[in-house]
Amino acid sequence: MSGFSEWLADVKDVHAPEALAVGLPTKRVESWKYVPTRGLARTTWQPASPKTTEQFAVTGGQFVNVPAIDGLTVSDDALTDSEKKRLDDISQAHGFGLTQAALQNSQLVLTVRKTTSVVLNLHHLANQASAAGFATLIIRVEAGAQLSLVEQFESTDADTANLSSLRCLMTLARDASVTHVRFQAANTAAHVFSNLDVECGENASYRLQTIEFGSKLARNDIYIALAGREASASVNGLAITNGSQYHDTHLAIDHVVGETNSEMTFRNMVDGKGEATFNGRVLIRKDSQRSATEQSIANLLLSESARVNPKPELEIYADDVTASHGCTVGSLNKTELFYLKSRGLSEADARAFLQYAFAEKIVEEIEHPDIRELVETQLLGELKHGELIAELKESVDV
Amino acid sequence: MLSIRNLHARVGDKPILKGINLEINAGEVHAIMGPNGSGKSTLSSVLAGRDDYEVTDGEVIYMGQNLLDLEPEERAWAGVFLSFQYPVEIPGVKNIYLLKAALNAVREHRGLPELKAGEFLKLVREKLKVMQMDEAFLHRNVNEGFSGGEKKRNEILQMQLLEPTLALLDETDSGLDVDALRVVGEGINRMRAPDRSVLLVTHYQRLLDIVKPDFVHVLAHGEIKLSGDHTLAEKLEREGYEGIEAA
Repeated sequence: MSGFSEWLADVKDVHAPEALAVGLPTKRVESWKYVPTRGLARTTWQPASPKTTEQFAVTGGQFVNVPAIDGLTVSDDALTDSEKKRLDDISQAHGFGLTQAALQNSQLVLTVRKTTSVVLNLHHLANQASAAGFATLIIRVEAGAQLSLVEQFESTDADTANLSSLRCLMTLARDASVTHVRFQAANTAAHVFSNLDVECGENASYRLQTIEFGSKLARNDIYIALAGREASASVNGLAITNGSQYHDTHLAIDHVVGETNSEMTFRNMVDGKGEATFNGRVLIRKDSQRSATEQSIANLLLSESARVNPKPELEIYADDVTASHGCTVGSLNKTELFYLKSRGLSEADARAFLQYAFAEKIVEEIEHPDIRELVETQLLGELKHGELIAELKESVDV
Repeated sequence: MLSIRNLHARVGDKPILKGINLEINAGEVHAIMGPNGSGKSTLSSVLAGRDDYEVTDGEVIYMGQNLLDLEPEERAWAGVFLSFQYPVEIPGVKNIYLLKAALNAVREHRGLPELKAGEFLKLVREKLKVMQMDEAFLHRNVNEGFSGGEKKRNEILQMQLLEPTLALLDETDSGLDVDALRVVGEGINRMRAPDRSVLLVTHYQRLLDIVKPDFVHVLAHGEIKLSGDHTLAEKLEREGYEGIEAA
């Protein structure tokens, strides 16, 4: 805990003594089994300060430039009991949860008012060297309202360790719908923590697309509760892990009531000495009849020393449900490589084609054309020999 | 153009080809027929460089070089093209990317300049028309969700673009209905040229009614048991492979 201990010792928050006492999770905490915590523990973290920007951003643990948009209210009222409990569950999960609570710099509560439609672009700006920022965002989407939330992580030139944590609670009232895109391309010294807790009421729909390219270490905890009939959630994600990066997504979808639908698709592509963890859990409770879930997890390993830890978990206690799942781990398909090479593509170009294809199946689903374009451009930059495809796209997509 | 001499190949411990000898001259169309499991597809795969097979003996000389020494992409650059029995789906990659990348790669190795975007599109549209394919095929993912017939048309479309010197067509007629068979057959006929050879692997005679081969060979148990002209194919259609297999 030396990484945060001095800081925590001076903090007045009620969670601080407990966070100090419990310390950072070790390998014995099942959900943190693979997380390399050494860098976290060794760095002497300090509070971050906000950077200057004109965008709506979370920087140094603070929200800046909250936009004034029709339909969107910045609320001052206290958290509801349910929100308090959900935040508390995140805090109590382990020592890092307690640390996030104790060191929280700021909290923002936004309400998307009934039947309005709001577009929000939230930028994440990397913190200063050795600085850590902790923020909490509460979003309430009222009945029939629509929210499009895009989170983008700016890649800066910082090459010293920095840390940012965002806990986000989202509550969708009946008939509300949210499309959420998270594009994490933080610099490779960044430690990025994200907790996302979503509750969907009756006939509400939540769609998340999460793309991870950046950071040294990224940990996403996503919990989605389908708490009203006809609620649905769809998550598709891609993590490209390279060099000595570590990416970890723990995703849980809870069918709290019946007649709810969920879909999760996640792809990991790991190269170099990278390591990626994906834990995909679906819980269909005993009385959640007539629910449906689809799960698909694919892992592509591109080097001898790349590692991946996929864990699909389906817990189904109801008997009238439709469930499908699949999980694959492998290297590039030999037959596909041969097909491309037999058409004259070099080994390197054929490999680039197939890596692009693997990632593109997720990226092509992004509905925002600007973000999709941005992700594709960065994706091609990440791939060895991606420039061939970049040229093709440019010359053919007119 | 192509000399196959005493070619032996196996998969794992199982010998599949047991001494194939075949001479193909420029401009000729050869058909290899034979019952299932005779080694027909293995022969075309070995020639294209698929590494699931191990060549244990023999040699293959193509235009003066030892074909078996070349990587699959080097064979493509040298003018060899394999139309797959089961064309591979590449979800996530648009058909047009593959067509353009393949054509550029092959042209580069033939010392030809890269086609400009407009020239390329004009050429592809011409070939699409020949194959009676809609332009929408260009922007769909490679073979993903294509019907059996569409996949085979797509193979022949690639061949039309790449203009190989030696075309290996592996069961290109399988899974085709009568109309598609005609389009594919005519697509192959258009490619016949004095400097281009075709090796056509098939189980049935029906494609050979459209693409008249100069020579027909019957492969059974990994060896060529019988060779003749196109009338041999008709005879096989009437009498089956039984008599030959027993020989």
